[in-house]
Amino acid sequence: MRTKQEYLIRYKDGNLYCQLADIWIDPSKPVKKALITHAHFDHFTFGCEEYISTKETAILLKERVGDNIKIKTFEYGEEFKINGINISFYPSGHILGSSQIRFIFAEEKWLISGDFKLQKDQTCKQYEIVKTDYLISECTFGLPIFKWDESNKIANDISKWITNSPEKTSLIFCYSLGKAQRLLNEISQTNFKGNIYTHGSIHKMNNSYRKLGIDIKDTIKIENKKKIDELKGSLILLPPSLSKGSYLKNFKNIQTAFASGWMSIRALRKRSGYDKGFAISDHADWDGILEVVKKSEAKNVFFHHGDSEALSKYLVEKESINVLLFGK
Amino acid sequence: MSLKKFSELFDDLDSINSTNNKIEVLKNYFLSNDPIDNSWAIYLLTGKSNKRFISGRYLKILFSQIYEYPQWLIDTCYLKVGDSAEVVTLLLKNKNNSRKKKLSNISLNKLLSETIPALSKLNEEEKNLEIQNLWETLPEDNHLIFNKILTGTFRVGVSIGLITKSISKLINIEEEIISHRLMGDFKPSIDSYEFLINKNINLQELNSKPFPFLLANTIEDKIFKNSINDFQFEWKYDGIRMQLIKRSGNVSLWTRGQELVNESFPELVEKMTHIKDDFVLDGELLVWNFKEEIAFDFSLLQKRINRKSPTRSIQIKYPIIFIAYDLLEINGRDIREILLENRRIELEKYFSKWQLKTENNISDICKICDLIFPKDWPDALTYKEKSRENNTEGLIIKKKTSIYSSGRKKGIWWKYKVDPMQLDAVLIYAKGGSGRRAGLYTDYSFALWKDKELIKFASAYSGLTNIEIKELDKWIRKNTIEKFGPVRSLKPEMVFEISFEKIQISKRHKSGIAVRFPRITKWRKDKKINDADSLENAYELMKKIS
Repeated sequence: MRTKQEYLIRYKDGNLYCQLADIWIDPSKPVKKALITHAHFDHFTFGCEEYISTKETAILLKERVGDNIKIKTFEYGEEFKINGINISFYPSGHILGSSQIRFIFAEEKWLISGDFKLQKDQTCKQYEIVKTDYLISECTFGLPIFKWDESNKIANDISKWITNSPEKTSLIFCYSLGKAQRLLNEISQTNFKGNIYTHGSIHKMNNSYRKLGIDIKDTIKIENKKKIDELKGSLILLPPSLSKGSYLKNFKNIQTAFASGWMSIRALRKRSGYDKGFAISDHADWDGILEVVKKSEAKNVFFHHGDSEALSKYLVEKESINVLLFGK
Repeated sequence: MSLKKFSELFDDLDSINSTNNKIEVLKNYFLSNDPIDNSWAIYLLTGKSNKRFISGRYLKILFSQIYEYPQWLIDTCYLKVGDSAEVVTLLLKNKNNSRKKKLSNISLNKLLSETIPALSKLNEEEKNLEIQNLWETLPEDNHLIFNKILTGTFRVGVSIGLITKSISKLINIEEEIISHRLMGDFKPSIDSYEFLINKNINLQELNSKPFPFLLANTIEDKIFKNSINDFQFEWKYDGIRMQLIKRSGNVSLWTRGQELVNESFPELVEKMTHIKDDFVLDGELLVWNFKEEIAFDFSLLQKRINRKSPTRSIQIKYPIIFIAYDLLEINGRDIREILLENRRIELEKYFSKWQLKTENNISDICKICDLIFPKDWPDALTYKEKSRENNTEGLIIKKKTSIYSSGRKKGIWWKYKVDPMQLDAVLIYAKGGSGRRAGLYTDYSFALWKDKELIKFASAYSGLTNIEIKELDKWIRKNTIEKFGPVRSLKPEMVFEISFEKIQISKRHKSGIAVRFPRITKWRKDKKINDADSLENAYELMKKIS
């Protein structure tokens, strides 16, 4: 039995850290060397001397923050060595380029799940099951009340929601990287054939996806649009930050929705202030987390990013899996 | 024509914010479904007497037993969701059963008039099996409505007003008529729906129904610019608002919550039956101190409300009175359009006539509301401040030249409530909220000093803004000392101003006092816990009042 200090990967200053390699994973403050699981801003910070990620994540990051960062890239499954530790990326199914990271040292395997989902998503690589001894998993939706519907069902609901109110402009708020592209991909396969407009931040990410070979439906940049009347019956995708404040005054006769896993709970839906919620998530639901934990064959599991109390207790009681706590 | 359609209606109403759109959706629903299901829909939407077939707790336990889920896991989920019916619905999604769905289109009528009532005739084991069977045969999209009906918690953001408006639009008849037709007991049936949408107006049919109540608004500053003589002043009693109706010889007592409560107050019904005239009186029911001519505390009235067929000794112990303040109908003549000052004259005229008949003197159970005559507005304020002395909540101010319309119409009646009592108290416990506040800590307990100890004296959950709730929720999570299930004990650090209406001795509470309607009126970030009030301060406050 080892003490917390001797774990290959541990929590330090609120971030995951591997001392042996002196490398941080998705650090929230500038460090020398950072492994980046994916290009969402809550997993990235400016000012690190060197970043390491998948090729796709590197391209998306540069698109978002400029070329001015030093970033080394590897393919999925390609092993590289730092201080004698073998490290490699595997697809995590969260967004384009997102990855799990595996460490092997002295025959001991560690796997950081990164943000992940198991659901089908045509805009990124499917989650790959990776075997490990130690698993560090996210658990954003770690309660059994979270059970995602198939994404095509949600897309059909969205299509119905828009077409049932032809006199309105339908606004869906969603993260501009990942969720927006997944929605566009799903909606393009429904009966909704009206115009789709996107905010500049989403438009930019759509182009990056296309450059990386992902087929994303053509949309019109909302900033190029002048006449409000023409927006009737169409769909506009916007980042959530614009849902508050005066931006909405640019439109007339609107209905609004938020696309997020949290929308599966009525109280949160009501409190959110949107007319409608679509429960579609790029994170794993309860079953998804359990499946990954079991299939990884990990004997020891850590959780972060979420309320892990119930999930941990359940795994210990029902599945006899050893759930460990990081010392903070 | 089905539970399925009704579930869709619920989803639509739940996700539309515009009133006009809701009315449109309801109208279309009524148009496309059959009368019996429509009448059930109205019954459910108005939430008039949603019966509870099983408790939310039972529902969760049942789920836990059937699907071998640990109870603590369900309880944890409940904290996030805040509604038992919804928790079970969400968990059922995880139980993707392969059994063939057979009940894909059960009618609302069959479900509510046969399937669910039949449950109460089964023994526990059979009942559990039947609920499981229904869970596994009803389509997933209908589970929420089904569970909500089972637990009697079906509520949606639709007011009676909206139903009234949509029916009114549907058949092109004024809202007032529809509103009146919807008053009182609504028994779901084809007849009740056809009565509701009948285009011929026949007032006879409304015989047993109360009029829609006129409600008072909170006082507005602009009223003080008017002459004091334009208004009628009454005490604001803290009782049960009620219409006392006698039509064709039959007396009925209707509360503002539209419940018929004849059985709880038989002595009043009996006395009023002897009056020769027919009438509709609007007034307040109270438990009355006949010696001192003031109302007893509301807590005594509570001893009468839920008790049907009270014994003679209960009737003597808690003597009731009906204080009439308005006359709405007399011998079949609807006089709501007559001005208040003239209605008052009629009211006084009939009362003196009724009281003259000594053989059935009603004055020991029914009296007319006394009026107050302040000289000017400052004088009105003085009356208001004195209202605690006679156990009233303040004043009701009524415009003399107003008619009796329905609802909370502006510019007719105002309530001028006495200022609340206040104490500064320390937050010591927090509990997770339910419903819309699920997942947040929104139920708080507050304490006062006793020597060097903090003693809990009140719980409150209203008064903070949404932003403050979120801020406090964050603080609570960071400053928890201990968790007991859903309750957290907290570091004593935050001081709040708590307002309440009444304070009295209570043996049931550790603090020795009980307060009525406690609510948070200010987050005193400027105060340290040592600045909070003590129990002694509370006792002094109590002395000052009595």
